[in-house]
Amino acid sequence: MKTFVRADGPDKVTGSGRYVADLTLTGMLHAKFLYAGVAHGRISRLDVDKARAMPGVLAVMTADDVPDLRYSPVIPDRTLFATDVVRFEGEIIAAVAATTPEIASAALAAIELDITELPVVNDIEAALADDAPLVHEHWESYDVTGDTIRDRNVATFSAIEKGDVDAALAGAAHVVTGRYEADASHATPIEPRGIVAQWEGDKVTIWTSTQVPYDARDGVCETLGLPSNRVRIIVPHLGGGFGGKCGFHFEAHIAALARATKRPVKLVFSREEEFLAPDRRREGMIVDITTGLSADGDIVARKAWVGIDNGAYVADAAFFPQLAAMHIGGPYKIPAVKIDAQLIYTNRQPSGSVRAPTAPQACWAVETHTDELAAAVGLDPVEFRRRNLVRTGDEGIVGQVYDEIGLDQCLDLAVSAMGLPDLPADEAIGVAIGWWPSFAAPTGAYAKMHGDGTVQVITGAQECGTGAVMTLRDIAADELGVGVEDVQLVYQDTGAAPVGPGATGSQTLLNHGRAVESATQQIAEQLRELAADELEAAASDIVLGDGVASVAGTPTVSVPIADLAATAAGGDLLLGSASAPMPDWPSVSARCVGDQEMASWLAPQFSCHVVRVQLDADTGVARVLDVQTAHDSGTILNPIGATGQIEGGVMMGIGQALSEITHYDEAGKQKNPGLLEYKLQTIADAPTISTQFVEIYTPNAGPRGSKGLAEAPNVATAAAISNALAKLTGGPIRQLPMTPERVWEHIEAQSTGNSAEVPA
Amino acid sequence: MTLTIATSIDDVLAAMANGARPIAGGTDLVVGARQGKVTMPTDLVAIDRVTELATVSKDGDSIRIGAGVTHAQLLTNDVVVNELTSVADAAALVGSPATRNVGTIGGNVMNGSPAMDTGAPLMVLGASAELQTSSGSREVTLADLWTGPSQTSANTDELCTALVIPQPAPSSGSAYIRLEYRRAMEIAVVGAAAALTLDGDSISSVRVALTAVAPTIIEVDGLDSLVGAPANDETFEAIAAAAREQARPISDLRASDRYRRHTIGVMARRAAHAASVRASGQIVPVPVNRAFGVGENPENIR
Repeated sequence: MKTFVRADGPDKVTGSGRYVADLTLTGMLHAKFLYAGVAHGRISRLDVDKARAMPGVLAVMTADDVPDLRYSPVIPDRTLFATDVVRFEGEIIAAVAATTPEIASAALAAIELDITELPVVNDIEAALADDAPLVHEHWESYDVTGDTIRDRNVATFSAIEKGDVDAALAGAAHVVTGRYEADASHATPIEPRGIVAQWEGDKVTIWTSTQVPYDARDGVCETLGLPSNRVRIIVPHLGGGFGGKCGFHFEAHIAALARATKRPVKLVFSREEEFLAPDRRREGMIVDITTGLSADGDIVARKAWVGIDNGAYVADAAFFPQLAAMHIGGPYKIPAVKIDAQLIYTNRQPSGSVRAPTAPQACWAVETHTDELAAAVGLDPVEFRRRNLVRTGDEGIVGQVYDEIGLDQCLDLAVSAMGLPDLPADEAIGVAIGWWPSFAAPTGAYAKMHGDGTVQVITGAQECGTGAVMTLRDIAADELGVGVEDVQLVYQDTGAAPVGPGATGSQTLLNHGRAVESATQQIAEQLRELAADELEAAASDIVLGDGVASVAGTPTVSVPIADLAATAAGGDLLLGSASAPMPDWPSVSARCVGDQEMASWLAPQFSCHVVRVQLDADTGVARVLDVQTAHDSGTILNPIGATGQIEGGVMMGIGQALSEITHYDEAGKQKNPGLLEYKLQTIADAPTISTQFVEIYTPNAGPRGSKGLAEAPNVATAAAISNALAKLTGGPIRQLPMTPERVWEHIEAQSTGNSAEVPA
Repeated sequence: MTLTIATSIDDVLAAMANGARPIAGGTDLVVGARQGKVTMPTDLVAIDRVTELATVSKDGDSIRIGAGVTHAQLLTNDVVVNELTSVADAAALVGSPATRNVGTIGGNVMNGSPAMDTGAPLMVLGASAELQTSSGSREVTLADLWTGPSQTSANTDELCTALVIPQPAPSSGSAYIRLEYRRAMEIAVVGAAAALTLDGDSISSVRVALTAVAPTIIEVDGLDSLVGAPANDETFEAIAAAAREQARPISDLRASDRYRRHTIGVMARRAAHAASVRASGQIVPVPVNRAFGVGENPENIR
């Protein structure tokens, strides 16, 4: 396939693109939310009468004004508005619609709210204490689905068990144990979310900045009691997501306000709200790992515990323990494994899928640990990984046997690209490997060729910035033998397209690509038959390409595709519609306790990141100078887009490694919900980033042998930086992010021989 | 609310006499008001079109930087870069290209933040603020101007029209170094400025001021004892020790007091070293536009 400029690029770069915040409808009102403002408490008084009576205020809604039901996938523990107990500071108490944002703010201030504070469950260890207050007092009454194991503040529990781990550890030549603690971070899309809702009769149209239009639709339908065909979700350009805009969030509140006021209603979040209110924080994590090694340096056993800070509500995080356990096992051959993982309720903002959920932290822990393992047996870290990683045909930690994979090639390529430069004393190189599954989900596509030979593809795919949706045009053009410029997409509109998973789980191209392939192949088949009549040849001999249908082997015998389209427009229209065929899931043989369907990995992706880091040892300030990556994501369909995904993932990983930290106060509230004190990386911090792809045609996966890609680059960077810093500071820094102050304290502790833990 | 758009200092002073507050780039006032940290004044007078405030000039044995000179102008102005280099260092580090293009030195000084970047350089260069009202003008040293976090001794009808800086002696150099967690869009965790004059290899004068380790920018006392000392590592370490000792840091989101106290010494040592290198006639680049690799951590000030 060809490298191409994405169709939505010029709009976004020149500023002519329109986002939700740019929309204005006649008579539109402005919404604002009243939040709990305390992390745990019981509402003792809520009186909205004064706010309702204010001029310019058209609605004030609370839990009394919407259907009384709990929602959320797997564990329905959530309500639209707080009913009695508030469990995190961003819990919504009331929603206001007013003629101006200022009046809406004044109305919030007029709401009389008293909350009796309850003891705050402020972190993982506090939640697990014997006498810990329950975040959900009535947790047993929730109507959960699936193989979901719970206990008090443990929202879900999963384990992977293979072999006799205790016997294997007892027989190991070396046993290495470590604890690793990662703080929470944020998705931080540059566009704060916006929503506009407008009713026409009994149907509502909602323009919203979501990554998952169908989840948003289904959430509105479920919580407001509406059938699927009366809710239409449209997403204008989306200003980034990184997982933060997955899930169903606030669309129902705005739809309910619009229905109550009979006016369009608009919500636009402030940056602070974007930090506090969504249920998509990247989870904090504590990992304890014990690994046994043979004298030669083979990993013989791993026993581990993972505690994940879920926050107040589960959102989509029920699978996090199982996924984290997979990463703590890692892409290694380990004969005996017992990894227990818990998703733990606290009174913090809910956690949810942020780009490669659980992976950067778990990979950081396990790959930091892996360098410690190499040191224990006196092997070079790269050599140790070569010895233990999974190759084609090997069995991984859950007993899945891998088809052709390129992890070993990724390691070799990235390491040799970095080479062995002469390093000054303040620089070091760190290496880490990572993996990530591909996710298949049901979706479909419609395609039509117009009478002039141009093509429209109608897809449920959602563009979140990756460019994956843009690549669908290329697939359609390739199938139909027309130019990319002749293909237009209709997308991000649930009223038009078949259902799809949205921009989540790196599955846009993987799933929608297969659907577009199938739908356009139907039109291609019709074109071949039309051409066969015209050219007096067999349909199976017709080739479509360069805008013409020709006879295979005789390119001069041809007819323009536009002519065939004109013929078809006279009667039998050129239409295609198809579901994406679902791939088969590989089998696993390990015992998976609390299975959330995250152990069998379809078309696993592999990566190796090698980083060159410079450390200012006087201050602890680290700087990443050079990053070499190699990725196995199967066939690469759009090299520019794919390389951009790697570069963005690396930058996000550097932020997680060094600067992105969420501070909490004693009362469980975030102390730095803003872009001044929550330190994203900037372009001035960007190192040189080089990428090589190990392109292995992968059957039973995405279109043309592709796998997913968008999350995989966000897995291994922080781990590689950790391993470089460990070389520069005399040992691993067991806290993430490895902020300058933590690095400096770590150096101080090493030099004074004091191993005391570093303050937060 | 009223907004007066002034084109002369007299217009500004007249508006201020009637209670208006001046606004230049608005990078502190507007941002602060939006975040609820400050109240937006009812009456504003815009001073960004007052061209007489926006010049850098030499006036006898002093250099006069108009209060309306932006950070972007400071970091490219020949007089500032060559003779008041620490001010150019600080201006180059402020925020982003957008904030540097509208934010002014007068705004930075009068905002009175202990984390302001241009404050410590101005202090070590001996700058005074020129304050005018419709009835007259006075000069106030920066030590007298800054009375607390975001507090100054200026009256509400006084406009800062310029920073007045004595012409540095020959063989002088100055530098500003700050601790930062990222290389753009950053605010000082701590910072230090040093101005130093050499007599051969020894120091004939030295001043050091510290950013974000006290309620205001503070100058390090007692450095007179270093006059005559050689400009070497031992001397710079003595400066670092004085900085650590005199810092009164707090613990906040950006750093603990312990870490600030340590790193202020590192910054003071590096600033003094860089100032001495510049005083000796060598070039230490101003950290302009680091996204493109300009002003990379030069080896000679590490």
